[in-house]
Amino acid sequence: MITKRFSLQFIFALSISIFSIYLVFFLNPDGAIRILLNLVTFAGIYGLSAIGLNVHFGWTGLLNFGHASFMGVGAYVTLLLMPHAAGREGVVVTTGLPFFVALIIGILAAALFGLLLGLPAIRLRGDYLAIVTIAAAEIFRLLVRDLESITGGVYGIINYTENFQKYRPSFIDELSDNLGFSASQGWVCLAAWISIFFTVLFLKRLSKSPWGRALRAVREDEDAVRAMGKNAVWLKLQSFMLGAGIAGLSGVLLAFNYGSLESTVFIPLLTFYVWAIMILGGVGTITGPIFGSIIFWVIISETDRLAYLLFENANGQQLAGVRFLLVGVLIMFLMIFRPSGLLGKKEELLLDVK
Amino acid sequence: MLNNLISVKNLKKSFGGITAVDIKELSFIEGELTSVIGPNGAGKTTFFDLISGFQNADSGDIFLKEKNISNSQPYKIARMGMVRTFQLTKVFDRMTVMENLLFSGSDVNNDSFLRSILKLNSQKVYENSLKDKANEIMNDLNIGHMADSYARELSGGQKKLLELARAIINEPEILLLDEPLAGVNPKLAEDILSLIKKLSEDGITIVMVEHNIEAVMKISERVVVLAEGSLIADGSPNEIRTNKNVIEAYLGKDDE
Ligand SMILES: Nc1ncnc2c1ncn2[C@@H]1O[C@H](COP(=O)(O)OP(=O)(O)O)[C@@H](O)[C@H]1O
Ligand SMILES: [Mg+2]
Repeated sequence: MITKRFSLQFIFALSISIFSIYLVFFLNPDGAIRILLNLVTFAGIYGLSAIGLNVHFGWTGLLNFGHASFMGVGAYVTLLLMPHAAGREGVVVTTGLPFFVALIIGILAAALFGLLLGLPAIRLRGDYLAIVTIAAAEIFRLLVRDLESITGGVYGIINYTENFQKYRPSFIDELSDNLGFSASQGWVCLAAWISIFFTVLFLKRLSKSPWGRALRAVREDEDAVRAMGKNAVWLKLQSFMLGAGIAGLSGVLLAFNYGSLESTVFIPLLTFYVWAIMILGGVGTITGPIFGSIIFWVIISETDRLAYLLFENANGQQLAGVRFLLVGVLIMFLMIFRPSGLLGKKEELLLDVK
Repeated sequence: MLNNLISVKNLKKSFGGITAVDIKELSFIEGELTSVIGPNGAGKTTFFDLISGFQNADSGDIFLKEKNISNSQPYKIARMGMVRTFQLTKVFDRMTVMENLLFSGSDVNNDSFLRSILKLNSQKVYENSLKDKANEIMNDLNIGHMADSYARELSGGQKKLLELARAIINEPEILLLDEPLAGVNPKLAEDILSLIKKLSEDGITIVMVEHNIEAVMKISERVVVLAEGSLIADGSPNEIRTNKNVIEAYLGKDDE
């Protein structure tokens, strides 16, 4: 019975996602492919990040409000290990590691950052962890901004995309010629969705395993976990590292999608977007954030056109307002009518509004 | 047989001005079923928290199997074979009854990340044997039909049973039970009581905090009485029933 309801939910989420994408075509008679690719790329990258956040919050109950910093550590470590240019003068670094080696080190660095942050903070009760993670993420961002000689500061890092683009399969170039989209974004998009695919496979394997079960037990009651002879702190640290590593990977993809990277990418708003996506998709699920992310990005990227339909003479600032309004209203409605998100189980409702 | 499987010396704990626990010397004997009684606020739960590591004492020493565990982590104490339940039940609400048991019975190595990634056949075999054990325990406790229900759907009494089941599948040598009969209907209380007796006969050392004096007198081999944090009596159920201090402590409480 549970499987049946699940598949119904799945079809529901899929239909909404497909409808959202149809909406993009409807709203953009010209250039829909380009807009769609941009949207699906962002949806993939943010969806991946939200999948990582779900390991923290959905599986283990950890209130992490510094997710952007895990994405940032992954991105900066990976980019800085490869040939790139950084800073006001565009100091060129010509030597570096190959992309895949740098990527793996970047992911491990994000996980390690999770561990370092978790070691002092994770013993604290839920809301304290939230405060510590917000603060740590801001400290990270400001450090990156001020360490200009290494990170390029506000001038950022450039000339790094070739490290990754040189692996681009040729069929993407052919498709991009025919359909008129950017080949390099096509490759980032493909890489993002391949990453999602393997991350989901990996997490599916873990979620029903004894380890996944132990994380859920921690989420439910740490004291009872301890009373059963299990080291709750270590379980939380492991969860923190895994989710941070996934976020690190998504941060690298985000950097390649942008083409240049600076510290403002990792402002707290990024974290809150990822939270919104996770909540939309279903806290505690594995694939929910994917659908949540598609719908979220259709709204974010199409608000302009939706707003033009409503207010013909709107300016940029007003549009930004409408955008937040729509996301807010959407989450509000969802919390009222589908508090468990698109794919979440009612019985495992994690955002109990008591 | 160890005469002092668990023993405490000069154990003190206070909250602000209130002395919650102040015990000079107290030991529990291997294999015995001991009850700890005393009026509300006597310090019974705090005493359990101290010896199970959930709270740190202000001063004093706690020994488990002659090893000083005074500042040990709760999970390490549990791994030494001493498992507790909670006065306010702590079940894993949004997990099924079966999952509650599997987690609790699972060996720490079986929970490991690496083993869970590799999904070795040995893990599967282990999990299956765990499932059989869980089913057996649930059937003994008449919650077999609830195996796939979420723990949050259980009644208060059933949650007490689940906590007990969880402790049993953990295969403890020593079981600390904090008010296992509180809020349980009389029929279920009978069942739980005979279960406790059976566990004791199987050789598990049991220390039980309980308000139901009838039940305590019926199954305990030894009764320890606390009042305002201190030990005021210690003896067989018959000795305790007629002990002047005990009668005063309970009557004094009524007078207030
Ligand atoms: N966390 C706490 N903070 C302050 N006072 C506490 C705390 N825990 C227990 N107490 C106090 O310590 C005394 C003993 O409490 P407790 O151990 O719960 O007693 P019992 O389990 O025998 O009813 C009571 O006076 C209680 O109010
Ligand atoms: Mg108590």
